[in-house]
Parts: sequence; C-alpha cells; structure tokens
Amino acid sequence: MSGTSVRSMLRSPFVILVGVVLTWFIAAFLVWPNANVLIATFFPDGSFSGRAAEKLLSSDRAMKSLGNSFMLAAALSITVNIVGIFIVLVTHYFRIRGSRILFLGYATTFIYGGIVLAAGYKFIYGEKGIVTVLLAGMFPGMDAGWFSGFFAVLVVMTFATTTNHMLFVANALKGVDFQTIEAARNMGASTWTILRRIVLPMLKPTLFAATILSFLTGLGALSAPQVLGGREFQTITPMILTFTNSPTSRDLAALLAVILGVATILMLAVMTRLEKGGTYFSLSKVSSRLEKQAITNPLANVLMHAAAYLLFAVYTLPVVLIVLFSFADSAAIQTGQLSLSSLTLENYVRVLTQPSGLRPFIISIVYSALAAVITVGGLLFVARLIQKHQNWLTTLFEYLLHIPWILPSALLALGLIISYDHPNPLVGGAVLTGTTVILLIAFVTVKIPFTLRMLKATFTTVNSSLEEAAAIMGARTLYVFRRILLPIVLPTAAAIAALNFNSLLDDYDTAIFLAHPLFQPLGLIIKANTEGAEGVDGVSNTFVYTVLLMVITGLTMYIVYGRARSRAGRTPQELPPLPAAESSLPATVSSAAP
Amino acid sequence: MHKFKTLAVGIVAVLGLAGCGGTPGTASPSSSQASGGSSGETLIVYTNSNGEGRGEWLTEKAAAAGFKIEIVGVGGADATNKLIAEKNNPIADVAFGLNNMYFEQVKAGGAIEPYTPSWADEVDSELGDKSDDKAYWPLVKQAILLGYNSEKFSADKAPKDWTDLWTKDEFKDRYERVTGLGTATSQLVVASILTRYRDDSGDLGISDEGWSQIEQYFQHGSPAVPKTDLFARIAGGEVDMGQMPSSIIPEREKTFKVNVDVVKPSVGVPFAVEQVAIVKGTDKKEEARKFIDWFGGAEFQGEWAQKFNSMPVNEGAVTKAKPEVVEFVNSLKQQDIDWIFVQENIGAWVEKIELEYMT
Repeated sequence: MSGTSVRSMLRSPFVILVGVVLTWFIAAFLVWPNANVLIATFFPDGSFSGRAAEKLLSSDRAMKSLGNSFMLAAALSITVNIVGIFIVLVTHYFRIRGSRILFLGYATTFIYGGIVLAAGYKFIYGEKGIVTVLLAGMFPGMDAGWFSGFFAVLVVMTFATTTNHMLFVANALKGVDFQTIEAARNMGASTWTILRRIVLPMLKPTLFAATILSFLTGLGALSAPQVLGGREFQTITPMILTFTNSPTSRDLAALLAVILGVATILMLAVMTRLEKGGTYFSLSKVSSRLEKQAITNPLANVLMHAAAYLLFAVYTLPVVLIVLFSFADSAAIQTGQLSLSSLTLENYVRVLTQPSGLRPFIISIVYSALAAVITVGGLLFVARLIQKHQNWLTTLFEYLLHIPWILPSALLALGLIISYDHPNPLVGGAVLTGTTVILLIAFVTVKIPFTLRMLKATFTTVNSSLEEAAAIMGARTLYVFRRILLPIVLPTAAAIAALNFNSLLDDYDTAIFLAHPLFQPLGLIIKANTEGAEGVDGVSNTFVYTVLLMVITGLTMYIVYGRARSRAGRTPQELPPLPAAESSLPATVSSAAP
Repeated sequence: MHKFKTLAVGIVAVLGLAGCGGTPGTASPSSSQASGGSSGETLIVYTNSNGEGRGEWLTEKAAAAGFKIEIVGVGGADATNKLIAEKNNPIADVAFGLNNMYFEQVKAGGAIEPYTPSWADEVDSELGDKSDDKAYWPLVKQAILLGYNSEKFSADKAPKDWTDLWTKDEFKDRYERVTGLGTATSQLVVASILTRYRDDSGDLGISDEGWSQIEQYFQHGSPAVPKTDLFARIAGGEVDMGQMPSSIIPEREKTFKVNVDVVKPSVGVPFAVEQVAIVKGTDKKEEARKFIDWFGGAEFQGEWAQKFNSMPVNEGAVTKAKPEVVEFVNSLKQQDIDWIFVQENIGAWVEKIELEYMT
C-alpha cells in the first residue's frame, strides 16, 4: 500500500489519462489564476514590496486577531473531536434509547450555519436569552453577559461543526469488524479498552481528515466571533474581508490569507504523516457487522443517556427558535422578544412573491448540483490514485489540489477574471468571463480540497484484498473500480456531494464576481434582500432564507444520505458478485503492486 | 446497482431542472435576447441601490420607457472591484448608485468613460466628477447623520457634534461605533471627522490630534452587533445614538417604536451622492446613453424620489420629491469636504484605522 514508484505507476494508461486531465485542470484553474492574482497583489509595480508584512507586524489588532484565530483553530480541533466522537458513539456504537431521534437532533448542523446559527445561540444564551433569564432567576447575582468571548465562540462553533463526524466518522465506524470486538471482549477487555485500542484506531484516517477541517473552520471563523466574541475575542477573517475589498490594501489580505493557508497545509502534512503506514480496514476475511453495545455499568448508562439528551437539547433549541423567529417581524427578531401571537406568514409571502420568484433558487440548485457531482465524480479517480500510489508525484498533486484552501474565495474569483478575460490558450483560446461556465469552474475548484480529503480518507479504509482478488481473476482497472471500490465508497461520496451542494447553494463571495448577469444565483438575491441599509425587513428576510435553505438542504441530505445510510447499514462492505473473466489478457492493474 | 440508478436519476433530475431554469428566463421579457433595433438590446446595469424592490421597480419602469435592462445588485465595494476587474472584457453597460469615492476608484481603474448626459445642466456639477473628464454624474444625495434617542436626551442635552461623543462622559459607551470600515456610510463618517484635522506634514495628511480623535471614537463606542440594527439597540436601551443615513430614519422609527433626532454640527454634515456612469468598452454605448438620459432626467428622478423618499440632485425633480424630505435635507448644512483629498487617501486611512485603532 505504501509507496509505488512513479515509473511503475505510469505504466497504466488509465493513470496517464487521469494524470493528463488533472495536470491541465490544476495548471489552468488552480495555479495560473491564483499565481496571477498573487503577483498582481504582491508585485503591483513589478517589484516586490515588504509593506504588507511590515504593516501587519506593527499592528496590535492584526497580531491579536491572528492569535485568536489560531487559538480557536487549535481548540476546535480538540473540542470538535471530543463532542463529535461522543455523538457518533451515542448514535452508532452504544445502545442508547431513542438514538434515531438523537441522530436527527445532532444532524441539524448539516442544514444550517453561519450568522443565523450564531444568532440562534444568542437567542438562548445571550443577555436576554431564555437560558440566561432562567439561570438569573435561580442565581440572582449572575452576569447576564456570561455567554460571550472565547468561551462562547468555542462552544457555539464546536456544536456547529460536528457535521463531518456525524457523516464520515459514523460511516467509518460501520466498517469496524465486530468479530475483533467480540474477540477482545472474550479476552476480558473493558468497553473503554475496546474503544481505545480497537475502534478509535480504525477511525484514524477519517478523524484526521475531520480534524484538519475543524482546524480550517476555526481559522476561518467569521460570524460566531462577530456575534458572540465581544471586544476581547475578534478573529482575523473580518479584517481579511475588509482588506480584500480595498484595492490599496489587498496585499495585506493576501498575506494574511497565505499565512492561514500555509498553517492549514502544515496541519495537513502532519496529519498525512500520522496517517501513513497504518492499516485501517479489517484484515479478517469474513468481517461481520457492528452490533450496538449495551453499557453494562448502570451509573455509566444513566450518565451517558443524560449527556446524550442534554446535547440533543443544545443542538435542537437554536433551530426551533430560528424557525419560530422566521415568522416574527424584524423588530421582534432583533430585540429577541418573541410573542406567539405576533407570528405571521408575512415574511414568507414577501420573500416568495418577489418578481424574481423561484428562478434564483433553481439557478443555484442547478449550479450547486452540477458542481457537487463533477467534483466528487472527478476526484473519485484522483483520490484513489493518490491514496494508492504514494510517491513524490502524487504528493505534489495532492498539495497542489489544496490551493483553494489558501486564498479567500473573493481572491480566487478575481484570479479567474484577470486570467480569462482575454483569449487564453490554456482553455483553447476561449474567453471565460461573462459566460455561465466560469462560475461552475469556481464552484468546482473551491470544493476540491474538502472532497479530496474526505474521499482519500474513505479509500484508506477499503480492504485492498477485495480488489486484489478481482484483479487476479482478470478484472480490468475500471471494472474493479466500478464494481468493487465504487459501491463501497459511494455512501460517503454521496454524503460529500450533498455537503458540497448545500454549502454552494447560498454562495455569495464567488458568485458576486463570476455570475452571468442573466443567471444570478440565490446568494446575490439573498444579499440584496438582507444587507440593504435602507430596509427594515433585512433581518427577517435573512431568517426566512435560512429556513428555506434548511428545507432544501434537509431534503438533499435525506435523499442522498438518509437512504444511502440505511442501505449501507444493512450490508456493509458487501462483496459484489465477482465477474467472470471477460478478457484473456492479463489485467493492467495498478492495484497489483504491493 | 441501485446506487448507480439513484445517481443516474439524480443527474437526470438536475439536467431537467437546468431545462426548467432556462425556461422562465427566456420567457421573461427582461432577459430575452435583442432582436434588432437599437432599443432592443438588453443593458446590464450594476448597482448597489437595488434593495427594497427598487431594482424590480426600475426594471419595470424602464421596460415601459422602451429599455430592456437586467439589474445586477452588488454592494458598493464589490461593485467597484467587479467593474475594475472586468475592464478588459466588460460585462456591464451602466453602473449607478455608487458614491463619489467608489466611482473615483472605478475611474482610476480605467473602467468608466466620460459622457455628458442631456440633463447635465440640471444638476450641480460640484456634486459629481470634479475633474474635467466628467466621467460620472450625480443622481441622489443623502446626509450621513448622527442620530440620538430623543426620549433620552433633549435637544439641549444632546451632543452638538461627533466629537462630543468621546470627549463628554455622558455619551461615552452610549453611542454605537462601527466594527469595520467596509461600508460607504462608515467611510464618510471617518472622512468627515478626519478632514477637519488636515495637516500635510501629518501621517497620511492628518494631524496627530485628528488621529487621536479617531482613536477615541473607537475606544469609547459600543461596537455594532451584526444583524442587529442600531434602532433595535436604541429601542432595547443598549445604546442611545449612532450613525445613520437620512433616508432610513422615518421607517425605522415606526418599526422599532423609537424617536430619533439628528445632530446638526456647526461644520455641517457629510453628504453621500449616488452617481451614474457608462462602463468603458460597452458595445451598447448608444443604448446606454439613451438610458442614462432617461434615468437621470427630471421626470424619472422625480418619480423615483416620490416612490423611495429620496432627495434628487436634478433640480427639475426636486419639485416632485416629497416636501418633507426636501425640507429636511435643505435644513442641513453641507459640510465642506475636499473630496479629492479624501479620495486620494481613504484607502490608506481605512487601512490605518483597521490596523491600529479598531479594537
């Protein structure tokens, strides 16, 4: 598994084909546009200026915000793992009453996020929040502003970003061989030992991938610190956004973004190293399905149930309030005072009867779906090659594919514009600006790093003996891929596609620069209806759009993931019927290498 | 193999939706392709002034006047960056709504071209492009004001100027200050304060005293809360005053049930003037000119002012604007600000403030 020489890898025509397409894509859409925008930023007059570094180093605010972002990223990498693993175990490993309901509660993070999520938590724990008022009744001396600063931001972001655990770690958990667990138990291992020595090690690749994403989320934190951070805990992203928008300060934005990007790539390198060399699939030839474990200690059982349901409340309360508030008027939302009698359908009528109607929704759905399918479909091959052949060439490709993590999406978009506003040989002499394709390209590129990380982690947990067996029996590379690998990774691939789709639906940063004027996606319409300094309905419109998006994304998760999950749950790693030898020639198998 | 079927069905569904997505577009009059005749071309119009149904209303009115337009709503800073980034292959034909500061950047970026509209004589040319190029022309003006809760402070107890906010103890922490300088309104407030302390030997053309004022503004203000309107905070008693464009006051007073009066400093108040311009390199120049002649003319500006409570710059339109709006705006003294000086420096000022004073 570890290490294939470049030469032997390139013997496969399939690898060469994927390699050529990939090289072109990386050159045309990842390296060239971003190199252009960085050169334009750092070498404005053709000579390098160290101005940006100097300015940032001498700014207390920049240094403090940068420090806060890193602190948040580091803390989140730990807390999200703790909470994430706990909810995965509660819903998928231990026998807990009502685990399906719990699952639905924890799954609410799939369908919403951003500023409205932070506002939702503020309704509950903020100065006039329900819980705060309740607590103040019990402890009259308490500080009403207790829920602010680093602590509040960390809490909210921890609960808001366990999505990757719920989807991918839970999927990986299903691949754990139950026989090993039983064997360990027979030898007298405790529940804790089994978890620590058998279950968690198998989940490592997925946990590492989720950890990188948590780190990245922490670094890029925007709305939670703005809403809950208060004066003492502000992060760097708002400053990056302001400077990105100001042509004379764009070098500062780019430098800050590069610092965050490099930190993310370093994190990636560390995790890749940790992941190397392990075996993350069951070695037993007849692995059996994981069965839920009863917690035998009655006290532990009660405590686990209590903690699980407390978390359930934490997860679901903000959603309930957001939905309720979406029926209230702007003033009620902003003062946080909800009276049931004042709830009307007015907000929904206003938003849905705009002249643009459902058109922006449909445009966004089409763009997001296309981008999600193209990204996942294309990277399935790439992720497999990178995971299978570990050499300098695949490592180089892997890092290049993470370029979109380094720059904020507004800069990515600017790079595409300045690179393709004139006929460019990289795309066959076409001009891309002003076409409908350029936004799709941007959507695909921004989703590449996440997709690649998750797919690679999934391929790591696939037992290689299956495809070796198929290869020995003469199956071709593509056939092995289609009939053996794909069915195993498809549930995860579908989940990744769904998450990509959801996150692109309300994109603004990319669309604002690249959207075709006659095909404006939802993000632009939302912005126009929520940010206008003139209107008083902006805030209630924000809530309505959030709820409408929740409906769409919830539906997506159900269609794509809910059903795939129940199927995969029935027959994990089912062996597909093996093919009759179709070809007399020996298969050109890249998989035959040890 | 069910999974493949599901995926296949999914893709088919997406393509089906793509088909549906196209249909309403081709059916709607505003986006169907031009079919000969100069007035048949669809003009792409960038604006930051499309919220609150203004974009739709304008599209409708323009169609009635024989113009097919497609509005692309973009925030002020985004519109500026977008216009400059697209200059080699422009997508827009007309841009409006941006103020002098933004249009000056767009002009410096080489993305708009000079044009003298038919109504040039009806507007005060001092409000538009002050250079000889005359690349952008004024449409609507509004004052950027310091408003306070009149139930908390009587007129004689209220602040007399911005600087009172941080020099007098009773106002400290009672006013809202911005948390970012990305918006035009907040940049105008900063410009209004800083230009009073112009000193060519000072840092970025401002004396130490001026920078100290800005430092105190940020130090003693209560930071704005995202997604929470200043009026909501005034209603909740969190703060009593803050910056506000004149046009938003009446509606918000009603919504949040508060009464707000405005401070009228002796130096006057800054005005934001929304402008219009033709995008350089458009292939529909003739149509764009005709559109601007109609759009900025007294008749349409009057209707616009009537509908959206704005204060038109076109003298012929003022008579059609709401009398109370005209009266209110005319009661304000306009602060004398050297906009060329501001436009040259605002980027650096914003950067310095973001780095050094915003805590």
